[in-house]
Amino acid sequence: MAAKPSTTTTAKATYSPIDPTRKTRPPIFSGSDVDWLRPDSRGFHQCRPAFFRTGAVNSASGSAYAEFGNTKVIVSVFGPRESKKAMMYSNIGRLNCNVSYTTFATPIRGQGSDHKDFSSMLHKALEGAIILETFPKTTVDVFALVLESGGSDLPVVISCASVALADAGIMMYDLVASVSVSCLGKNLLIDPVLEEESYQDGSLMIACMPSRYEVTQLTVTGEWSTPHFNEAMQLCLDASAKLGKIMRSCLKEAASDEQE
Amino acid sequence: MGLPNASEDLSSEMEVDAFRRLFPLRYFERHLAESIRPDARSLSRARNTTISMGAVASADGSALAKIGSTTMLAAIKMEVMTPSLESPDEGCVSIDFHMPPICSPLVRPGRPAEAAPVVAKQLSDTISSSGMINLKELSLVGGKAAWMVYLDIYCLDADGALFDAALLSAVAAFSNLQIPTVSLDDGKIVMLPEEQKEENSEKEPVNKEKRKLTLGGIPFSLTCILHKNYILADPTSEEESIMETLVTVVLDSSNQLVSLYKPGGAVLAYTSAVQDCIALTRQRVKELHQILEEAISGMEID
Amino acid sequence: MEVDRADGRNPNQLRPLACSCSILHRAHGSASWSQGDTKVLAAVYGPKAGTKKNENPEKASIEVIWKPRTGQIGKPEKEYEIILKRTLQSICILTINPNTTTSVIIQVVHDDGALLPCAINAACAALVDAGIPMKHLAVAICCCSAESGYCILDPTKLEEQKMKAFAYLVFPNSILSVLPEGSSLVQGEPMEHGIITSVTHGAMSVDDYFHCLERGRAASAKLSDFLRRSLQSKLPGDLSKAG
Repeated sequence: MAAKPSTTTTAKATYSPIDPTRKTRPPIFSGSDVDWLRPDSRGFHQCRPAFFRTGAVNSASGSAYAEFGNTKVIVSVFGPRESKKAMMYSNIGRLNCNVSYTTFATPIRGQGSDHKDFSSMLHKALEGAIILETFPKTTVDVFALVLESGGSDLPVVISCASVALADAGIMMYDLVASVSVSCLGKNLLIDPVLEEESYQDGSLMIACMPSRYEVTQLTVTGEWSTPHFNEAMQLCLDASAKLGKIMRSCLKEAASDEQE
Repeated sequence: MGLPNASEDLSSEMEVDAFRRLFPLRYFERHLAESIRPDARSLSRARNTTISMGAVASADGSALAKIGSTTMLAAIKMEVMTPSLESPDEGCVSIDFHMPPICSPLVRPGRPAEAAPVVAKQLSDTISSSGMINLKELSLVGGKAAWMVYLDIYCLDADGALFDAALLSAVAAFSNLQIPTVSLDDGKIVMLPEEQKEENSEKEPVNKEKRKLTLGGIPFSLTCILHKNYILADPTSEEESIMETLVTVVLDSSNQLVSLYKPGGAVLAYTSAVQDCIALTRQRVKELHQILEEAISGMEID
Repeated sequence: MEVDRADGRNPNQLRPLACSCSILHRAHGSASWSQGDTKVLAAVYGPKAGTKKNENPEKASIEVIWKPRTGQIGKPEKEYEIILKRTLQSICILTINPNTTTSVIIQVVHDDGALLPCAINAACAALVDAGIPMKHLAVAICCCSAESGYCILDPTKLEEQKMKAFAYLVFPNSILSVLPEGSSLVQGEPMEHGIITSVTHGAMSVDDYFHCLERGRAASAKLSDFLRRSLQSKLPGDLSKAG
């Protein structure tokens, strides 16, 4: 309970008036889960509308802004630039990733600190798609800031980062599109929002290169049966193919705007 | 004076971009001599400025301010605190300024930017000196509960005049602020759920009327570069890195001087230069005031 | 319009000044400066080889470390560090020792108002003591402005809190030169009237600010004299160090 009011009078301890204990689990587990409506009245297998825009940050080599419902992220790419002095010589380029949250990203004010787990997961998801041989001895920095967290944060960050890398002109085998699925009882919910994520029994996230039909990262948590797992995986792969098209069209638009 | 002349000979054959990188000062001075800047602005003109209100859904008040490509996102979150014994009927405002690594190639993760705490301090000083916010309005239950206002400003793109953009976004976020309706429940302040707002029986909201803050004198600022006898308003980061003498003037709507900030710099500010900077700021205050008014009225139509 | 000050000074009167140089043995240069009860110790190390990242290696770099009397450094101290750093950068000749770093360490001994000006004066004396090449000296002063528009100089902590607004101003030291009178005029003003640094707190009218500026300039001449005298007095005994 981080939101407990302070008992001492002098300390500047504060709490948010939003009561975190008030929420009850939705009736989805009571058996009759057919009536369950998603908070944003989507179908179970329907993604949120995705929006990408490149060139959000002028001082970066490349950048992109992505908005999926309430999830809003900005990714800047710097480089290829000089590696840190302590780094040893390397034939291939280095990728450096960092994901951080704003203090107002979550409903209750957070610390706005770096997200170490997401940083390393972002690194692993992108590493396989980037042609590191094209920038030996140097480093490409991929920095992400989650402005607002509305669920499925990491998949949005990964997709947005790959658009930003393309904007920066970093060589890649393909764009990386990432989608996650939450498992609630018997149901599979694609592209879950924050509320759904908090009730989930298991989750699956795929980052893949749609045109090559290759997976760069697969993360599974919770308990899954094999048929269920296969279904979720197919669902994700189909959705990432669609997402890949949206990302591609965003980049094409930006490129044609530049030519005019 | 052998060197500058040598560079001049070189420059005639050099491409403009290379000249700009190799002799940045000369490049700028040539423009200044023609009373123009490389981005086609006149010396005293500020860049295009926009404000959009309510950019962050999860905050109680927010605004996105852009001056040229410098972008600031400000968001306010309200929390409840027990007021201090010295001022039992006052709330508190805490302002923080963040420069995440996305905003500039100079900021690396784990190593916070040198400028960030300084801008944060300048912002809290400016907002408290201007008397824009009446802390008494933030009281909920005298001596028991008051609002703690957390204002966090994120720099999304750093391209000069950071303080100006940050202050603008802060002011806009405060005018966008909607204080949540809360009620007293068992000695603890809780948020009134949406559905209970109309037909609420046992829980009486403590702050039914006070949903908005009345803002006093609103401060606006303008940063200028002093270089030789030139005064350049609203510098970009490139200009800031080449010509290092900066003067930031903050005036409120009644033309009171809230702050005149000049941290060192090679050029000394004489009375006339200070007066010119203040005059430029006066003009800019009018502009910014109008931009803010338009942004607020734009919100109300929606 | 006269208002009595708690210590019986008149509005334009500074507190007693004291300055002593070379008080630390390990440092390359050091000075302590006090104005009344406010006392600051400054030590200078350097120039040392190399500059930090993000600094221009073609120039000498100055690093300022602020040590508060107690506790950790916070945002106000960070701001002081930056202001002090920029101020010192503008008075030192940075092109003589390129790619070096000079560290200035400021230790607050006691804070009774006008802390930043006191630190700037101390740092300036310490830089001279360390033999760092400088264009000119700088003198810093604090002016307070009250509601009624009158202003007092060099306030104590209590006065700083009571007054509506105050300004920290730094001016160049008046130059004693053999050049004829008036040759150093810039834009019709003597060089020592230019502002190196200005930091204000609290709202005041523009006229009040210029009023403060005027009073500050007048008092800075006295401060300049004092600084010059205290630096000159130590010169003859300095031969051992110079060798």
